[in-house]
Amino acid sequence: MTLLIQDEYPEKLFRDDGKRLDGRDPFELRPIKMEVDVIKNADGSAYIEWGNNKIFASVYGPREVHPHHLAKPDRGILRVFYRMATFSVFDRKRPAPGRREKEISMIISDCLEPVLFLELYPGTSFEIFIEVVDADGGTRCASTTVAALALADAGVPMRSLVTSCAVGKIGGQLVTDLSGIEDKAGEADLPTAITWFNDELSLLQFDGQISQSELEKCLDMAKDALDKIYSMQLDALKRKYIKIQEDAENQGGATEE
Amino acid sequence: MENDEEPEADDDFEDEETSREIVAPGEILSEDLNNYSPGRGTILNKKGTKIISVLVGLKQIKGRYINVIPLNGFYTAHPGDKVIAIVVDKNPVKYRCDINAKYPGILKPKNTIKVNKKRRRGKYRDKPDTEMYEIGDVLVAKVISADRLNDPELTTVGKYLGKRTDGIIIQIDPPKVPRVIGRSGSMIKQLKKHTNCSIFVTQNGRIWLKGPSIENERLAIEAIYKIEREAHTQGLTDRIEEFIKSEKEKRGIE
Repeated sequence: MTLLIQDEYPEKLFRDDGKRLDGRDPFELRPIKMEVDVIKNADGSAYIEWGNNKIFASVYGPREVHPHHLAKPDRGILRVFYRMATFSVFDRKRPAPGRREKEISMIISDCLEPVLFLELYPGTSFEIFIEVVDADGGTRCASTTVAALALADAGVPMRSLVTSCAVGKIGGQLVTDLSGIEDKAGEADLPTAITWFNDELSLLQFDGQISQSELEKCLDMAKDALDKIYSMQLDALKRKYIKIQEDAENQGGATEE
Repeated sequence: MENDEEPEADDDFEDEETSREIVAPGEILSEDLNNYSPGRGTILNKKGTKIISVLVGLKQIKGRYINVIPLNGFYTAHPGDKVIAIVVDKNPVKYRCDINAKYPGILKPKNTIKVNKKRRRGKYRDKPDTEMYEIGDVLVAKVISADRLNDPELTTVGKYLGKRTDGIIIQIDPPKVPRVIGRSGSMIKQLKKHTNCSIFVTQNGRIWLKGPSIENERLAIEAIYKIEREAHTQGLTDRIEEFIKSEKEKRGIE
């Protein structure tokens, strides 16, 4: 017997005081926490908490390609494996990779490829494993952001980091960083990603209805949000080393006295 | 093989020109192209107006060049490097070795026997074969050729090279190897002196060490891991000396 639970969406996506259902202003991001070097046995790894999203990413490589026929003799390849844990969403998710996961793996790989020097590593592969432990809207953006961090942590030469964030339209109003319920009940959703070495969009997907002038305004809003997330990424990357530096210097000062 | 002379390496970490400023990929290092040129670990942007970093590392200005000293990364084989290789496969023509790089190291039998021995001894009069080493053997080898198209080729003929049957091998991040050696070998000399261990550091991040007792070896390993962790800090040599001395006192090691 299958138990069907109808998805229930709230009629209004804004509260009476003009704020969103989770108490945010229209252009406000969810709280973001990033950390690098969380998985010991990986070459590089990172973890992100973006609102209720909790995502791990690990990078291995450059290493030999398995199966071997996928290897390219003139350049390396980037493979991304985006997976969601069975307990990451309300209904149990079937563990086998589905259509959606394959698509997201592909767009993340396409999005990160322009920043890597793959032509320097012929016949090898870089592999990124992304595990979504908890999902609440915007996992593809969070995954792209955390994958770029993990690549940098692995010491892979990159032209720049990649940052991603979604913008959209809910209840007739343009907003930044849609949560799960806003994504489903809203009118439009526009995930974007940027490569900072040339300030160009590396990912632009669109779903819903929106006018042309609104689209342009959306992209401006996205740029503001991406700037904020980029500074958090840089901070997360450097924090690990700065902490060791400070600890060592304090220790040195203590022994001198 | 007991007392190994280390190759003299430039310790970029301790260089006076190396700042303590940590940079991330994509960060602008300089826009002044009249006075500076992009060096190691950096590129020019598409328009050719800015020097940007491609790695997480320490910014260094050396003469005209702006370099980035990496803090993490992987090993790429270069000709002349000494590496510790583990034989993972062999056939009558060659050995394949794991050298912690993206391509396996190839060791041909002709590179395992000295030329004059080949002539003199009856055993080697025939074509050399791959009976010398077994799968799983640990070899100290030298890279004789490496480029982007072919797998790196190794040799085990030379001073300090060959099979190792004793000691311990540990693995550190390859970019931190110059720091373990120190400027003209200062760090490694200090380590050897205070722990009484013989230590052999190779370019692929593997370190062979052997001491008079397991306690000395453990102390040396801990000191090496501390160097790896704190490679980007100042005054490390003194701190390591202090660490070893205090730990020796605590543990009662002679």
